[in-house]
Amino acid sequence: MVDWELAVKIFLFGLSTVFGSLAALIGAIYAFGRILKLLEKKGN
Amino acid sequence: MLDMVLATGFIHLTLGNLVMWLIAFFFIYLAIRKSYEPLLLVPIGFGILIVNLPLTFLMEEGEGLLWRFYHYGLEWEVIPPLIFLGLGAMTDFGPMIANPKTLLLGAGAQFGVYVAFFGALFLGFSVPEACSIGIIGGADGPTTIYTTVHLAPHLLGATAIAAYSYMSLVPIIQPPIMRLLTTEKERKIVMKQLRPVSKREKILFPLVTVVVICLIVPASAPLMGMFMLGNLFKECGVVKRLSDAAANELMNIVTIVLGVSVGATMSAAHFLKLQVISVFIMGIVAFAFSTTAGILLAKFMNFFTKEKINPLIGSAGVSAVPMAARVSQLMGSKADPKNFLLMHAMGPNVAGVIGTVVAAGVFIALAG
Repeated sequence: MVDWELAVKIFLFGLSTVFGSLAALIGAIYAFGRILKLLEKKGN
Repeated sequence: MLDMVLATGFIHLTLGNLVMWLIAFFFIYLAIRKSYEPLLLVPIGFGILIVNLPLTFLMEEGEGLLWRFYHYGLEWEVIPPLIFLGLGAMTDFGPMIANPKTLLLGAGAQFGVYVAFFGALFLGFSVPEACSIGIIGGADGPTTIYTTVHLAPHLLGATAIAAYSYMSLVPIIQPPIMRLLTTEKERKIVMKQLRPVSKREKILFPLVTVVVICLIVPASAPLMGMFMLGNLFKECGVVKRLSDAAANELMNIVTIVLGVSVGATMSAAHFLKLQVISVFIMGIVAFAFSTTAGILLAKFMNFFTKEKINPLIGSAGVSAVPMAARVSQLMGSKADPKNFLLMHAMGPNVAGVIGTVVAAGVFIALAG
């Protein structure tokens, strides 16, 4: 007997986590890119 | 005399053993003659052959040599993370850092994982088994093995072989789907040259990624941690010996043990079942849907982005590094010989690896 409730939970949580974590990573990449640029400007 | 005959393997041979020999020879043939994933198919094929030799007891629990490889290497979860260490030391995240939005294509291409997950459930597999089958759609061998060992170890041979077989068949599976879903005009889209990525950015990337991903999905830490450690070895430039060891000697050693161990799980009694055919069918469904979702997401993103994305790079979101990116390049250059998509496709390609690890982490956390 398939536990459909668990299956739907895995699907919803799984797909949103995949997108959420990669979106967070995009944000992090832009953020540290900006910080590095600022630091380089200050250094110059 | 009779005792001597009984002590040989001949009279203990079964039809199942002979069928498995044929499968073993077929994999070895594919590896040697067709160059399909030879680094894995040769040891896997050989593992299948020797585990199906009667009375060798190579997979005898607690005693057999291959059982020890399997138990301490795979069941103890040592080998897949070490493979990821090596992959990290070989991966250049530069194209992805230069164009971070391509990370979304790596996420979109995980859609097939969930299609196959539901497909497997409809075919009567349990939730943990369906997770192990679904993850084939990520086109990432070590992640498939890691997830299956956790959730459905009895399916290991089938899922691992399906993942590696379909990965090697990327140049055959993907192009028809890519042609079907894109117009000539879309295939000719020329993408802006990627900006150069500084050394500092490349060093920071593995540190930031491991923190972000492992905070969100702690269960992905063994694979993600090793992946990013390997990448830090490569990018920091001060541990060349470790980086070389991870990417070469260590990677080669664990690949041998991994291949033989996976092959060794494929004894006739375990492998010759209807279930295995279902795994292969769902595997290709997963692959096709992952490719489709990646392409469609790229087209969707074009509605919102100023600089257009060639949808052909969306299919590279299935991991299969670098094969899937090469297919994008090939298809792009067929439409316009001056179009160079390889580096653009490497972004979603390596993002797909991260996406698959995250999907696996969620599977393990919720179904384990």
